[in-house]
Amino acid sequence: MADVETLSHSGICVHDLKEAGDFYCNVLGATHAGAVNFITEDTLRGRSVHEAYMLGDFLFAVALAPDLMPMPPEDQLKGAMGIRHAFTVKRDHFDDVLSKLKANDCRFEGPVDQPEAGPFGQSIYFKDPSGNFLEIVWRRDEDAEYNAVPDMAIG
Amino acid sequence: MLDADTNPLPDIDVEGLNHVVIEVDDLEAARVFYTDGLGFVESGQARWPGIDGGVVLNCAKDQHLVLVAGKNPIDLKDTGVHFAFRVGLEARKKIAASLGHQGIETFTYKEDNPCEEANPFYFFDPFGNRVQLVVGQDIDGFVPALDHVAVQVGDIQWGEIFYGRVLGLSAAHRVGWATADYIRAKDWADGKEDMAPGTRRLDKRYSSMVNQKVLPRVNMQVYFDAGDSTLGLYLSNQHTQESPEFEKLGTPRVAFRVSQRGLAAVCDRLRAENWRFYGPVEHSDTDLISASVYCRDPGGNFIELVSNNT
Repeated sequence: MADVETLSHSGICVHDLKEAGDFYCNVLGATHAGAVNFITEDTLRGRSVHEAYMLGDFLFAVALAPDLMPMPPEDQLKGAMGIRHAFTVKRDHFDDVLSKLKANDCRFEGPVDQPEAGPFGQSIYFKDPSGNFLEIVWRRDEDAEYNAVPDMAIG
Repeated sequence: MLDADTNPLPDIDVEGLNHVVIEVDDLEAARVFYTDGLGFVESGQARWPGIDGGVVLNCAKDQHLVLVAGKNPIDLKDTGVHFAFRVGLEARKKIAASLGHQGIETFTYKEDNPCEEANPFYFFDPFGNRVQLVVGQDIDGFVPALDHVAVQVGDIQWGEIFYGRVLGLSAAHRVGWATADYIRAKDWADGKEDMAPGTRRLDKRYSSMVNQKVLPRVNMQVYFDAGDSTLGLYLSNQHTQESPEFEKLGTPRVAFRVSQRGLAAVCDRLRAENWRFYGPVEHSDTDLISASVYCRDPGGNFIELVSNNT
């Protein structure tokens, strides 16, 4: 047993760090948490080029892809190019996210109603500027003090 | 993404480059090189405020190039540091001929900044400073104007905050933030593109140093609009000796022209940001500038904000 406690962070590859930073900060409300390879010392060590952000308590890095990555079809808004990140918002804030996406001309699919038996209420599906699939979801059990790990066979 | 582009202070209102102070190890030879060879005109000013000695040369557009005796030999060959003059096409032909006559090699590097792509032209002056000549249709006659200056900092995000948020300049172009920039760096490594020093690197990956593998990369650059001029900010590609933090007035130095109202805003903003500065220093009535504020950027580059008498 590895005794994993929880997810620590994610790395999301992008084609443009500035564009990605603007998207995650201005559209989703992320805050900047750090940067690597923007100082001389990092370059001399040949470190990767990335910036770190926080969304709620989720730490993620947007890492600059060294080569162009395959992009999903422009019309495809829901899917996974290997992975999809889903972020939880309170139900009361769900419409705010929709408004933010519209205000920033970010195409999305949804809201999509999730099965009533599951923990998820509704989802919106969209992509970041580098084609990474994203999802915003509100949970039916958002008022619970402790959210148990959902039964993934349902949601 | 740092908050460098937001909250600019339009009150500062940087109008452009006012003067550049460069170091040379032979003042008389430099005076001859820049007047006879490049077309600058001696101003006749006995002194320049904030400068102990030196040669003051007039540029077009009421700008100045100030030459001072440097303490140490300069070697900027591997860095992005340079300054650029804007000249007419005929003037550049004349200068090119003069440089050739002096045996000075010229370079036609490919450019990262799209607005500099046409007619690249670089050389090193005999004192180790890299000089670029940009052709400008707005320059009449043979006296150059100051076009842009490039400096380097050890932390480019901190540099961007200083020039963007504190001084209110807007970032017009970035290099090194996009995958396409790194793909292009491979062309340089393959010998397909001749790029200017300081714009590309061969990084040694710390995870593969055993094999001494190197990774071609672009060196980060941000180009700021500074009124009718441009400031290029490069990430230092090697550790450099920075000026001590307590020094505010030194050389080499880049001076931006602001309105009288802007100079007050500069002081207010620097104070609000807890940024150390010296001034405003009121100059004498005979000086070509009326007041200056001196400080250093996060890379230790000496910066001056001036307001003109004219």
